[in-house]
Amino acid sequence: MSGRFAASGQVAITGYDQTPIERHADQTLGVLAIESARRAIADAGLRVEDVDGFVGSSLLPTAGSHRIQDGVSIVSPTWLAQHLGVDPRYAVGFTGIGQIPGSVALAANAVATAAADVVVFQRALHNPPRGRYHGNSMKAAAGPQQWTAPQGYFGPLAMIALPYNEYLQRFGARREDMAAVVVEARKNGARIPWSYWHDQPLTEEQYLDSSTLFDPVCRFDCDIPVDGVATFVFTSAERARDLPHPPVYVAGYGMSALARPRLPLHWPLDDILDGGAEMARRLWSHAGIGPEDVDLPQVYDGFSPFVWFWLEVLGFCPSGEAHRFVAEGGIDSDRPGALPALSGGGALGNGRMHGIPQMLECYLQLSGRAGARQRDANVGVACHSSPHFGGAVAYTRDPT
Amino acid sequence: MTTERLLPEPDEQSAPFWTAAADHVLTLARCARCGAMTLPPDVVCPRCGSTEPGFEFVPVSGRGTVRSWTVARQAFLPGFEDDLPFVLVDVELTDQPAVRLIGRLLDGVDAPVRLGAAVEVAFEDLVPGVALPAFELVP
Repeated sequence: MSGRFAASGQVAITGYDQTPIERHADQTLGVLAIESARRAIADAGLRVEDVDGFVGSSLLPTAGSHRIQDGVSIVSPTWLAQHLGVDPRYAVGFTGIGQIPGSVALAANAVATAAADVVVFQRALHNPPRGRYHGNSMKAAAGPQQWTAPQGYFGPLAMIALPYNEYLQRFGARREDMAAVVVEARKNGARIPWSYWHDQPLTEEQYLDSSTLFDPVCRFDCDIPVDGVATFVFTSAERARDLPHPPVYVAGYGMSALARPRLPLHWPLDDILDGGAEMARRLWSHAGIGPEDVDLPQVYDGFSPFVWFWLEVLGFCPSGEAHRFVAEGGIDSDRPGALPALSGGGALGNGRMHGIPQMLECYLQLSGRAGARQRDANVGVACHSSPHFGGAVAYTRDPT
Repeated sequence: MTTERLLPEPDEQSAPFWTAAADHVLTLARCARCGAMTLPPDVVCPRCGSTEPGFEFVPVSGRGTVRSWTVARQAFLPGFEDDLPFVLVDVELTDQPAVRLIGRLLDGVDAPVRLGAAVEVAFEDLVPGVALPAFELVP
């Protein structure tokens, strides 16, 4: 068993849509989703009746106590198909770890195995209008929460604060070094018209002036909750060649899940780095490439420390060195020879679109559709979530 | 207005843990098949894989080392506002190194905590009959 994707280069993205990313959209999430899907299908040069597959993940990524309603706070693949008036051969939601690479894997596998010919992948993210995003009014800590919530260990800021501080302490990094990550994400996001942060770069001073919430995490280390929808259309490489836009091919993917049981939200640094290294091995063997082939890595940055972790597990810099690598301009998208790892602005530079900004940047750059931001790139890697609790997809401009 | 701290809700499996904690005794769940200790107890033993682990909560020393920490300055749950800021430590237990607990560091935000610092279990008394494992630095 080689671990190589049997359909490497045989499935392509052939069209897309990205709605404006807003703090609170005027329209219901379901309306945005339907309109986004129709635009993406048209962008691919196809008709709604050509679509026979729907995939996606409808997780609302919050610790808060919000009411979940399909078509309002989430959009499932089945809901979308029904509201587009399609009776699809294949409609599945991804409920595993790594919602974006997991959904892409479902789409690519479905096309490769002829479970569907044209698959719509959509991710719809919602920022509930009432209550704090992660605020939770639980009265007693039951089930898994009984072991951590009574201590006040709750929510994703606490979750990321522990491995972030562990990294700082172990490798002699400083919170000041993280400014380069966040400033880079916001610089690139400020150049993107649909971004929530369009025309709003962040300075190092602004970053350092922000007080910490769970040390060493400040609010600029966290992506901002938003309303936004992105849709991608997948089909076979063969069919994609006859459609209007240059195809972008799926070379392979790597997935990760927690290797051992842990307390809720407990992500020790070694779990992240060791699990991430294993995920990277799976990615490279599945895609048939290595880090030296990648000229457009798009690392995940829903929390800023993930940028360091991803750069290290993917082998773009030595273990314990990412903080220096980034602070010295290693991922500066404007510096010739640097690795443009946040050129798409990421989640910090766009808003909480999960791994969509990473995937979209790979698609736009490799299909030659990035406009004024166009770079010369052949191989992209779109990462999502934590390296040990997510995954990554490798995309190529050529079907090799 | 002061909201009361969030309390753990014991279930059938965890009840002996919370009963012991109320007496300021830290316990771990020991597998009757292989003797490995774990927390929280799962439906299988994490070491031997037995689906009939017959977990029994046994007292442990509660000594360990700090693997990481954070200072909480904001709360997402009701009842913590009056406690802010507070320190949470990620502790690897000497009794069973695979077991990690997260608890308050009762020494406060100015304590000289560092990676590898020795700690031992202490308890926060929340209400009569309910105590929560926490930690203190070992001088």
